[in-house]
Amino acid sequence: MNLNIKADKAQTYDAIVVGSGMTGGWAAKELTEKGLKVLVLERGYELKHVEDYKTAMKDPWEFEHRGKIPIVAAEEHYATMYFSAKEGSQYLYSNDKENPYIQKRPFNWIRAYHTGGKSLLWGKHTYRWNREDFLANAKQGLGVDWPIRYDDLIPWYNYVEKFVGISGQAEGLAVLPDSNFLPPMAMTAPEIHLKKSVAQKLNRPITIGRVAHLTKPQPWHTAVGRASCQFRNRCSRGCPFGAYFSSLAATIPAARQTNRLTIVHNAIVKEIILDDKAQKAKGVRVIDQNTLEVREFYAKLIFLNAGTIGSTSILMNSKSARFPNGLGNDSDQLGRNLMDHHLAIGARADIEGFEDDYFFGARPGSLYIPRFRNWGNDKRDYLRGFGYQGGASRADWSRGATETGFGADFKKKMTQPGPWKINLSGFGEVLPNPNNRFYLSEDQKDKWGLPQIVFDADFGENERAMRKDIMNDGAEMLEAAGFKNVVPYDNPVAHMGLGIHEMGTARMGKDPKTSVLNKFNQVHACKNVFVTDGSAMTSASNVNPSLTYMALTARAASYAVEQLKARSL
Amino acid sequence: MNRREAVTHVAWILGGVFSAPTLQAMNRWEQIGSQATALRQSGSFLTETQHEIMARVAELIIPRTDTPGAIDAGVPDFMEVMLRDCYRKPAQDTFLAGVGALEQKGFLKLSADQQTALLKQVEAEAQKTSDSSFWLITKELTLLGYYTSEVGVKASFDYQPIPGRFEAIKIKPGQKDFMYGNQA
Repeated sequence: MNLNIKADKAQTYDAIVVGSGMTGGWAAKELTEKGLKVLVLERGYELKHVEDYKTAMKDPWEFEHRGKIPIVAAEEHYATMYFSAKEGSQYLYSNDKENPYIQKRPFNWIRAYHTGGKSLLWGKHTYRWNREDFLANAKQGLGVDWPIRYDDLIPWYNYVEKFVGISGQAEGLAVLPDSNFLPPMAMTAPEIHLKKSVAQKLNRPITIGRVAHLTKPQPWHTAVGRASCQFRNRCSRGCPFGAYFSSLAATIPAARQTNRLTIVHNAIVKEIILDDKAQKAKGVRVIDQNTLEVREFYAKLIFLNAGTIGSTSILMNSKSARFPNGLGNDSDQLGRNLMDHHLAIGARADIEGFEDDYFFGARPGSLYIPRFRNWGNDKRDYLRGFGYQGGASRADWSRGATETGFGADFKKKMTQPGPWKINLSGFGEVLPNPNNRFYLSEDQKDKWGLPQIVFDADFGENERAMRKDIMNDGAEMLEAAGFKNVVPYDNPVAHMGLGIHEMGTARMGKDPKTSVLNKFNQVHACKNVFVTDGSAMTSASNVNPSLTYMALTARAASYAVEQLKARSL
Repeated sequence: MNRREAVTHVAWILGGVFSAPTLQAMNRWEQIGSQATALRQSGSFLTETQHEIMARVAELIIPRTDTPGAIDAGVPDFMEVMLRDCYRKPAQDTFLAGVGALEQKGFLKLSADQQTALLKQVEAEAQKTSDSSFWLITKELTLLGYYTSEVGVKASFDYQPIPGRFEAIKIKPGQKDFMYGNQA
């Protein structure tokens, strides 16, 4: 008996954070900095910043397949094969065969099971949501109203932006509120021409992409060991300079500096353990991914930051007499309103001229064209909007494959910069829809005995109607700049999951009858459990979501510690 | 459980939603499985003659000039690795049919001019179709193999593994393309 009590005590922390990625890192940083002893549980293996970025410094010829993925490996990583993984970055993506899931309708579930999670894979485009994003559901009677407004997040956006380090240009646009910026990255000559043409002819602003790369590191960046961007654009292999923001390079080192952080790896959280009498969580039950050993950890406070599908599925798996359908699922909203951004659509063109213009360095970012549809006086026959990312660059030697010719002259020509090309790729908002969902399989389990996820979601009429404009408007802007051979495109491969912006499934809301989380990301019916990753999102906006997850996490952590101190949790 | 069983099992879990290309890949694994010994013994995808033909074709595409050529850069062996590992059976078959056609025409016995003329014909034929052709595969692999090899990169480009900055600049006369090695 005594032994058990001692063992329990050794496994007891002030707070448990599930997941070490984008939001888990923030929860760990905020909670440790506020004095709590924090345990981070990571389901994957330990990946060490810098030393485990094993491909980061490799030259092209050191890759056996020169960047291409062998077919056998591709079949093991099928979810990522559309665009994300290359030979140098594949090791950061999880193996789909070992981590199977079920697609009732097509869904690519792209995962990164190691320290840092998907914060090592993200595109790093970083935008604030605007005022309307938090009002749209209420105005249009869709989903539920957000329990917070833009003003609630302003101080938290300010707070996280400074620590993250975002390069960008202030524009004063209501549709795309400015952040606290480090110096912007440069535009190329044809990009500046596009910006001017589109402003003059179509009255649409274009800005340089706002990306989480250090263009001028500040003391608080260097204090955790981060350095300036080297413009290699090899980010997808992991950045040994810590120049792009990841939890591994930034928030976890900050948490570690407090000496109050413990990270346990290979720990798959099976369920949250409920204290039936107190109606509160008292800890989590964990399966070791290698040994299958089951352990328990205890804490007064639990933050779920396992990624949208991960966090929600843990709630679903946490069944008890009080919560027979999953912890906090009184509303039957767990797993519903699964959202993503829809992409793989836009326009591209050839650019004549600008032969004397070139650029030095590989820019890890692009242009950004903020939403202009259904904004101001513009009214469309669909709801919400979309933005574009893209840019112009000069074709390299690979153009030779589709050009006529071979031999000595051809060989020499391929060593010269090729003609300019441009691409604008649209990112569209997906509406919340309770029938877009995932649930737990009743009979299919993974090798850890946990039910497999069944995805049942697709784009709807609104998204399909929006796609026509994404193509046409992209083409229109390229034509406004006088570019040639403008080709609008819609890649039929587009479906849910490819955006890697999974959102919803444990939404925030004012009413416990229709939502899972309250305005502080607290489970309505179990106050010491917070969910602050993409699960919490009530709608999807059309801009990249990570910054908003981070702001929500820092805000929730601050509130949670206040409540702990006031003994209200 | 062998590989095909494993894949079939996953396909079944996924509700039979595997695509045609995946199924083709599974057939290819089966084939490799049955030929495993032979493949390992020869260590190659092509016969010796076919390998020689491809070496010659690659060298005609990227010849040795004042800088190294395709053979210097190891392109022929690279092509074999790529065809074996990164191409599905239909593309492999297309490729093998193309090499076979050159073999039948006694490609290696032709003069350099005749070889060039024949490849120009092959190229012209390939341009009539939008499908992947022997010529497109060969040219893609030759360019990839050469312009990402150590000798190819160093001889052809201004290689900048750590540029340190990004800026718009004006081009200089005869300027070589910058290469950043970020394609992998």
